[in-house]
Amino acid sequence: MKLLLAFFFAVALALAHVGSPDVFYEGDAGPYRLLITIRPPQVVPGVAEIEIRSTSADVRQIHIVPLRLGFQAQQFTPVPDLAQPSREDPQFYTGSLWLMACCSWQVRVDVDGARGPGRLSVPVPAIATQMLGMQKATSIILMALGLVLCLGLVSIAGAAARDSMLEPGKQPDAARVRRSRIVMAVAAVLVAGAVWFGNQWWSDEAGTFASRIYKPLRLEASVEGSRLALRLVDPGWINRSTDDLLPDHNHLMHLYVIRLPEMDRVWHLHPERQGDGNFAQPLPAMPAGRYALYGDIVHANGLPETATSEIDLPGIAGTPLTGDDAGGTAPPLASADYTRTVSPLSNGYRMVWDRGTAPLHARQASLIRFRVEDSAGHPAEGMELYMGMLGHAAFVSADRSVFAHVHPSGSVPMPALQLAQPDNPHAGHMMMSASLPAEVSFPYGFPKPGAYRIFVQVKRAGEILTGVFDASVEK
Amino acid sequence: MPNSDSANNPSVPWYVWCSVAAVTFAMVGTHWDISWHQSIGRDTFWTPAHIAIHMCGVLAGISCGYLVLSTTFNPQSALRECSVWLWGFRGPLGAFIAAWGGIAMLTSAPFDDWWHNAYGLDVKILSPPHMVLAAGIFAVHAGALILILGQMNRASGALRDRLQILFLYVGGMILVCLTIVQIELTNRVVMHTAHFYRVVAIVAPPVLCGVARASRFRWAATSVAGVYSLFLILMGRILPLFPAEPKLGPVYHQTTQFTPPDFPLLFIVPALLLDLVWQRTQPWGILRQAIVSGAIFLGAFFLVQWPFANFLMSPAARNWFFGAKYFGYYVSPTSIVARYQFVATEQGALFAKELGWAVVTAVFTSWLGLAWGNWMLRIRR
Repeated sequence: MKLLLAFFFAVALALAHVGSPDVFYEGDAGPYRLLITIRPPQVVPGVAEIEIRSTSADVRQIHIVPLRLGFQAQQFTPVPDLAQPSREDPQFYTGSLWLMACCSWQVRVDVDGARGPGRLSVPVPAIATQMLGMQKATSIILMALGLVLCLGLVSIAGAAARDSMLEPGKQPDAARVRRSRIVMAVAAVLVAGAVWFGNQWWSDEAGTFASRIYKPLRLEASVEGSRLALRLVDPGWINRSTDDLLPDHNHLMHLYVIRLPEMDRVWHLHPERQGDGNFAQPLPAMPAGRYALYGDIVHANGLPETATSEIDLPGIAGTPLTGDDAGGTAPPLASADYTRTVSPLSNGYRMVWDRGTAPLHARQASLIRFRVEDSAGHPAEGMELYMGMLGHAAFVSADRSVFAHVHPSGSVPMPALQLAQPDNPHAGHMMMSASLPAEVSFPYGFPKPGAYRIFVQVKRAGEILTGVFDASVEK
Repeated sequence: MPNSDSANNPSVPWYVWCSVAAVTFAMVGTHWDISWHQSIGRDTFWTPAHIAIHMCGVLAGISCGYLVLSTTFNPQSALRECSVWLWGFRGPLGAFIAAWGGIAMLTSAPFDDWWHNAYGLDVKILSPPHMVLAAGIFAVHAGALILILGQMNRASGALRDRLQILFLYVGGMILVCLTIVQIELTNRVVMHTAHFYRVVAIVAPPVLCGVARASRFRWAATSVAGVYSLFLILMGRILPLFPAEPKLGPVYHQTTQFTPPDFPLLFIVPALLLDLVWQRTQPWGILRQAIVSGAIFLGAFFLVQWPFANFLMSPAARNWFFGAKYFGYYVSPTSIVARYQFVATEQGALFAKELGWAVVTAVFTSWLGLAWGNWMLRIRR
C-alpha cells in the first residue's frame, strides 16, 4: 500500500535566498505605506498567506488578488479578496490567496482610505518545495476504511451470489453457498487488482509531483590564478534556462563570498557573464581557506534563485575591488557577541543597530534598522546610494541553512518588482538626492530560531562600508 | 410475483424515494461542483454544490441504515424474509451496496484533503481520491438501482409500473454518473478521433443493455438515454442563469455566470435503435445479441456524433442552448478548445485499429451489460 510508502521528501530551499522562502516588502500603495509579508505555499496549487501592516491609520480596507507575473495583457483579474483587519490591531490585515500554477506570481494590493485609493504589486514565487508524508492518524484511519471497503465489497459480492436471487423466505442451499464462496474468491482477486492498480496510479501521480519539486541550480566554481570561474548547472527542473537572466542593479549575478567556518570575511561581488550559464570574477586579495558562495540571479519570468557552492581557495594576491564590488571583515563567529549593536567602520565611522530591547522572534516581520554615525556620534553625512539603494543586507544563519539578500524595499529582487510594477520605473529604488539619510532599514523576518550573522553594506563618500552584527533569534 | 409488502402497501416505499433523491442530489451536486470550478474556482467544504453531494451520502445513509437496522433487529419487519445476510446484519442487497458507497464517499474526504496538502489542489477529475468518491457515488446509484429492482421484481400492477419508471430514471442517472468520470476524455475537440469512440464504448453500452434488460420495458434504452440527455440539457440551461465570477487566477476568460456542462452526447439515437433491435431479437443468446448491440451502438453513435461535432464547432452552436460559447475561466484563448479546433484524427492504420478496438469494446461491454441485466432480472432481495 502506498500509505505505507508515504514519505517525507524535502529539499534545501535555494529559491530566491536559501531557507528563507517568505517574501517581505515595504512600499507605498499611493499615499499609504505598507509592510507586506507573503508566505508562499509549499505545494502548487496551494495557498499563500498574506500579512499586511499599514503605517497609516486612515486605511479603510485592503483588497488582495493574485495575478501571473508578466502576463498583465493576457489575463483578467479574479475577484479580489478582502483582507481582514486584526481585532487587536486594526492596522494589521491578513488574507490567503490560491496560487494555481508554477512559478512567478504577483499579489496586487489595493488600498482604499481617507486619502483615496492606492495600489502596489509584490512578486512572489510559487514553487512546489516539498511533498508531505501522511500523518500516522490519517494513515490509520484511511487504512481501516480501505480495509472495510475491500472486505465489504467481497462480502457484498458473496451475499449477492448467495441470497439475492432467493425467493422470499427461502434459505440458500449448499450449492449456492459454494457458488458464493467462488464469487467471493473472484471478487477478492478483482479487488486486489483494483488496489494494485490504484497503488500504481498513486505512485505515478506522486512521481509526477516529485519531478516538479524545485531543484536548485548548482553553482560549479573553480579558480585559475586570481580569477574565479562559475558555472550555473541545471539539475533538470521543468523548463528552466540559464541564459534568460535579467540584470538586477545592472548585474546579472550578485555573489556573496563568505569565509568558513568563522564568517569573518565577506565579499559582495558581481561576476560578469561569459556565455550561457558561465560567469567570471577577478578575485580580490583573499586569505587561503574554505569559502561559501551564494549567487543571486533572476530569470526572465521574474523567478529569482540563489545558486550555492563551496570552494577551497589558496591565498589569492588578487586585484583591488572596483565598481560595486565590496568586502568587509568581522569578528570570528566563535566569539560572536549577540548583544553587540555597534560595528566599527573605516575612518572612525561606525554602524549602529537600532534593535531595541525586545527579543527577536522567528517568522515575525519587522523593519531591522541601522544607522551610520561619525566619530562624534552624529548621523553620517555624505551618504550615497549603493546600487540604487540606501543599503544591502545579507542575513546568514550560523549553520548556513539560511541566506537572504535583502534590500530596504524587502527581499523582492528588483527585476521581478519591475515586472510587477511596470508603470513605476523606480519601484523599490530610492531616488538620488542631495542629502540621503544616515539610516537604513530592511523589512525581514528570520525564518527560524537560531544564531544569525548580518552583513550590512552602505556607501558613503564613494566608499562601500560593511557593518557586521550577530543576532540570536528565539522561537 | 406479488408479495405481502406490495399487496398491503401499493405505494413506493419512502426509502426508495430517499435513494432516488440521493442519486439526484449527487448528480446535480457533481455537475454544479464542476461548473463551480470552471466559473468561480475557489471553494470550501460548505459550498452548495458540495452540500448537494454530501446530501447523497446523508440520504443514502438514512434510508439504508434504517433498512438494515430495522430488518436486522425487528423480527416483524416485512423485509426480513427478502433480505440478504452480511456481517451479522440483514437487509436488502441494494441497501448494503449503497451503504458501501456512503463509506467510500466518507473515505474520499480525508484522502482528498491529504492529497491537496501533499500534492497541491488537483484541478482535474481523474485522480485517485476523486475516483474513490466516484466509486462511492456510483455504488449509491447501483444500490438504489438494486433496491428498486428487488422491490420491482417482487411487485406487480401499478406499483411495478411506478418502480419501473424509477428504475429507468436511476439507470439514466448512472449514465450521467459514468460520463462525468470520462468528461476530460470526451470534450468536443476529440470527437473526430477514433479513441473518443473507444472511450465512450466503455460506459454507455453496459448501462443501456443492463438497465434495459432488467427493466423489461420496450423503450428502456431510449428512456435511459432520454433521462441522461434531458438532465444534461436542463443543467446546461439552468446553471448559466446564475451569476458567477472567477476567484482564482489566471483568468483567461471573463466568466460572468456558471459555466454549463457540454451538450449531451447523442446516445439517444443508438439507444432508440437498440430498443427496436431488441424487440426483434429476444430469443437470441446474449453473445449474439451483444455482437449486434455493440456494432449497432457504435455504428449509430459514430454516424450521428461525428457530424454533430462539426456542428458543435460551428458558430451556430455558440448559443445558450448548445452551449459552445461557454468556457471555464482558465481556458487559454490560444488553446485548441477556445479556437474550436479538433485534435488531429488518427491516420490510416492507427485510425482503423482504434475504431476496431472501439467495436470490440462496445461488443464486450454490451455482453457485460446483458449478462448484468440477466442477473438483475433474478434479483428478489
